Amino acid sequence: MAENTGAYVRKVKRAAKIIFYRRHRQPGVKGWELRRALGKEYVKIVDLLNQHLSSIGLQVRTVYEGSEQPQNPTSEQLDGARFYMAVKEPLTASDLVLSGWRVDDVAALVVAVSYIISKQGKAARKDIEQILREKFPKWRVERNLNRYIRQGYLNEVEDVLYLDWRARAEIDQKTLIKLVIGGDTSKSSDQTTTTP
Amino acid sequence: MKRSKDRNRLLRIISLCVAIERKGGNPFEVGVKEALETLRKYLPHWKVLEDFALDAETLNRISSIVSLQGNWIKHRSSTLFVDPLLIELKVKMLEPEKLLQIFRRTWRPVIEMDRLSNKRVLEAIDYWNRLQPIEDRLMKLPEPSGVLELTSIEELIKARIINEESFTALLQKFWLELKEKANGEERIHYWDFIYAPSYEETVIRAYLTSFLVTYGFATMEIEPLEEETFLVPYMELRELSLKEQMISFPISIDYDIWKEMAERQ
Repeated sequence: MAENTGAYVRKVKRAAKIIFYRRHRQPGVKGWELRRALGKEYVKIVDLLNQHLSSIGLQVRTVYEGSEQPQNPTSEQLDGARFYMAVKEPLTASDLVLSGWRVDDVAALVVAVSYIISKQGKAARKDIEQILREKFPKWRVERNLNRYIRQGYLNEVEDVLYLDWRARAEIDQKTLIKLVIGGDTSKSSDQTTTTP
Repeated sequence: MKRSKDRNRLLRIISLCVAIERKGGNPFEVGVKEALETLRKYLPHWKVLEDFALDAETLNRISSIVSLQGNWIKHRSSTLFVDPLLIELKVKMLEPEKLLQIFRRTWRPVIEMDRLSNKRVLEAIDYWNRLQPIEDRLMKLPEPSGVLELTSIEELIKARIINEESFTALLQKFWLELKEKANGEERIHYWDFIYAPSYEETVIRAYLTSFLVTYGFATMEIEPLEEETFLVPYMELRELSLKEQMISFPISIDYDIWKEMAERQ
């Protein structure tokens, strides 16, 4: 019994290291990498890790491939999903100030992301530029879009912009759309599951 | 003249489908039924291969549109659906400060850590101490001897980089050896595999191992925390996927490590 507990504790520590430390170009790890390092029960280990992280306001977020977020993911879907370490609760206004984002940069990102979501995940770059240019100068619009692409929020293929890994990992899309259209903003839903 | 007009009609259908596919417009703007009827009407009149190819391309594009129509309906019935026009109007009305509030409530930044282990720092210091000033290093570069040319197979054989067996056969043999040494285990420690009784042979084995990994006979696993490198042999040769990002990973075949292993042996 004690041996089992010890093994679980070791695996939880290992899971934390694997997910926290950047091993690839993108942060986080794929499910199959966790399976290889922690064994078949890696989902249970991630669940245990989440219980520990919760007390310090962090969580492991699971982002599945494609735009669908399955309710009951299969082992293949879990293997292909990416597991990130993220902040659990919404940031406070002062946290956001500390993050170094300028208000106009954030505004432009929200506009671009929400427009792309409404267009089923892709939109012509010139359409987004046109919306942004109503309030921002051309040079800033171009600079911002290029910056979001560089940071992994957006991806551009042949003048069409898509949501990239970072937008899918960090932005709660359902809540974003609700808030933009002025719906119920009292609670934020989780677009990505905390544990599978 | 008539055929040319028909071809143009198909080209117009293709370009409409491509535009919808690329820009994410409403796929129901394509009249699928009419397009299919057009194809059926033209098909008996096609005579040359190019026309049949055009017919097939049009059909392919129409089938993509049908698939997009399915996704469109699914998206419209999902909770994420909202009219793009409404979003456009709303975001135009919202002040940047309000958008900032929205972002704050929906943003859960990813957290990651970059780290340097003590071992890596010591290696880096050692490297820096040993590294000669760039001017000295440049002075030591030998003068190019005549025209640059590719190394011939004979030269590689002479340098004992490869032997007279064909290189592919040599790699196959090496691959079998890797699988045997892994002995049913998922992976084998990199140095355990490349180690040979002489340092020169170890370097050659490291060189060949790089080809095993590059050509899809095996892969490498790097444990950054433990700073260990492992080789994972594939049971079957894997096709290289261009979708996956290839990375180069330099490994120093350190004489001291080899010597240490030799002493342990």
